[in-house]
Amino acid sequence: MGYLLLAPEMLLTVLGIVVLALGLILPQRGKKVTGAVAMIGTLGILVVVFWQFGYEAEFFQGVYGIDAYSHFFRVLFLSAALIIFAMAGNYLHLFSERQSEWYSLMLFATLGMIIMASSGDLITLYVGMELMTISFYILSAYLLDDGRSAEAGLKYLILGALSSAVMLFGISLIYASSGSTVFAVVYQTLQAQVVTQPVLIAGIILLIAGFAFKIALVPFHMWAPDIYQGAPTPVTAYLAVGSKAAAFAALLRILVTALPAAHYNWTMLLAILAAVTIITGNLIALAQRNVKRLLAYSSIAQAGYILVGLAASNVYGFKGVLFYAMLYVFSNIGAFAVATLVETQSGSSDFDAFSGLAKRAPMLAAIMTICMLSLAGIPPMAGFAGKFYLFSGAIQSGYLWLAFIGLIMSMVSVYYYLNVSRLMYIGKSSEQSVPVPAMARVALLVCLVGTLIIGIYPQPLSQFAEIAIQVLY
Amino acid sequence: MSEHATIGVFLILTLVFPIAAMIAAWLFRAKPEPSEEKLLPYECGVDTQGPSQMRFKINYFIYALVFLAFDVETIFLYPWAAKFQSLGLFAFVEMIIFIAILVVGLWYAWKEGALKWY
Repeated sequence: MGYLLLAPEMLLTVLGIVVLALGLILPQRGKKVTGAVAMIGTLGILVVVFWQFGYEAEFFQGVYGIDAYSHFFRVLFLSAALIIFAMAGNYLHLFSERQSEWYSLMLFATLGMIIMASSGDLITLYVGMELMTISFYILSAYLLDDGRSAEAGLKYLILGALSSAVMLFGISLIYASSGSTVFAVVYQTLQAQVVTQPVLIAGIILLIAGFAFKIALVPFHMWAPDIYQGAPTPVTAYLAVGSKAAAFAALLRILVTALPAAHYNWTMLLAILAAVTIITGNLIALAQRNVKRLLAYSSIAQAGYILVGLAASNVYGFKGVLFYAMLYVFSNIGAFAVATLVETQSGSSDFDAFSGLAKRAPMLAAIMTICMLSLAGIPPMAGFAGKFYLFSGAIQSGYLWLAFIGLIMSMVSVYYYLNVSRLMYIGKSSEQSVPVPAMARVALLVCLVGTLIIGIYPQPLSQFAEIAIQVLY
Repeated sequence: MSEHATIGVFLILTLVFPIAAMIAAWLFRAKPEPSEEKLLPYECGVDTQGPSQMRFKINYFIYALVFLAFDVETIFLYPWAAKFQSLGLFAFVEMIIFIAILVVGLWYAWKEGALKWY
């Protein structure tokens, strides 16, 4: 296959540029066409990715590599982008004339994520990450008339720059102690060293801190709620799902292929981070009165659960990370899609806007409830299977206390997730119905079916994740 | 352990050095009364005229952004041009693609009126 294996990346670049150009050429800035072009294009690229399954190649002496692991995350990012394009629909009227740029930036962010998941080199990884984050800076400030959106964009810019600096410092220290930025070479050099240098330990900690910003783990989570609440809802959904999954993908690849735990044991560090994240995220979420903010804190807690699998540092836990990242796409975007539709209709995402939703739009209320139950980890929804993998991974590698914290806080989380359901089913209702465009209906159904099927029959996805993980060893 | 010591010594030096430099300057400098001339910024270009807390045109910012894209492009173009003979056709095509992507950016900026001076 050779360079043809890079076709999805190239096509995505071309698609982003074409969508941008269409907005310049067509009348009304291509308002009618660009959405369809972006969606069909993304779907086409997804098909190309499926068609490439099973092929592997390494490019430029290991700087970039396509393997089962990359395929897994390409599928994840492209389907997340596709579902968000479909569900965003009516919300985009808030952007008035600037829709082609929105699609284009979302595509470039997706490209950045894909590069992060496939890069085998610290610098390439960094470039991919910047492509993703710079797109998100603009996307979070996209509601020009809304002060909160501007605030979100500026906050993300400043804190994102800070976290990039921290990560670059970590990268430079790893480079200093190993003499290379390519994962495989770093691994070999470090294997040859008898003792671990303190410089390397500092590098690893700074690198993890840089990723922790992107994932919003607890000491580094301060930005998340404000930005999630201020940014346009479809962007928030992609930020919560895509940017997190990309950071996890890159972190997992680095930690396994370049800095294995046998050399410097980072599992305890991650375990403590995970415990603090789970506890803080869930407890603060209890007090929220705005659905977007609630989902922001819930997504902090969810990142904590995923980190449990990373801290477990065995095949079971890693498989759980991938599995959970995928089901998180369906469950979380499903919840955000409902929030988007309600916000488009009522102009607010406070709890009051959701009151009595079951009478106004029973389907939306049902999907929201199912997605929330999945996030809480109630069987037979997908979240249960995911948490099962993550926590059993932790128990296998001796982190019983971590699994206990996860279980107890999952029970706590049921309260605030079901609180929203309670409001939707027995809250007072206004008479306005919520219009659901056809494309958003499809997106909602995909989320619903995905959440249920992965929960009832987790075998295929679990196998897919396992194949993806095997290449790293 | 010795490696920790190296970092420690380095850390202490970085903390001590600026303080020591300021103390030394204070010790050795002449100490005349401050005058208006003395209080001006030292060798910082032309003296400021009027208030300095004024607003700048946002156009400067957009121009700088567009300039930056092509400034970085030049950095890539020079080594490529110097090694053009040995790099061959593949690098030529790559460079054309690279420039094409940047030209789309310029086109966008142009259409958006970024090059207009208001």
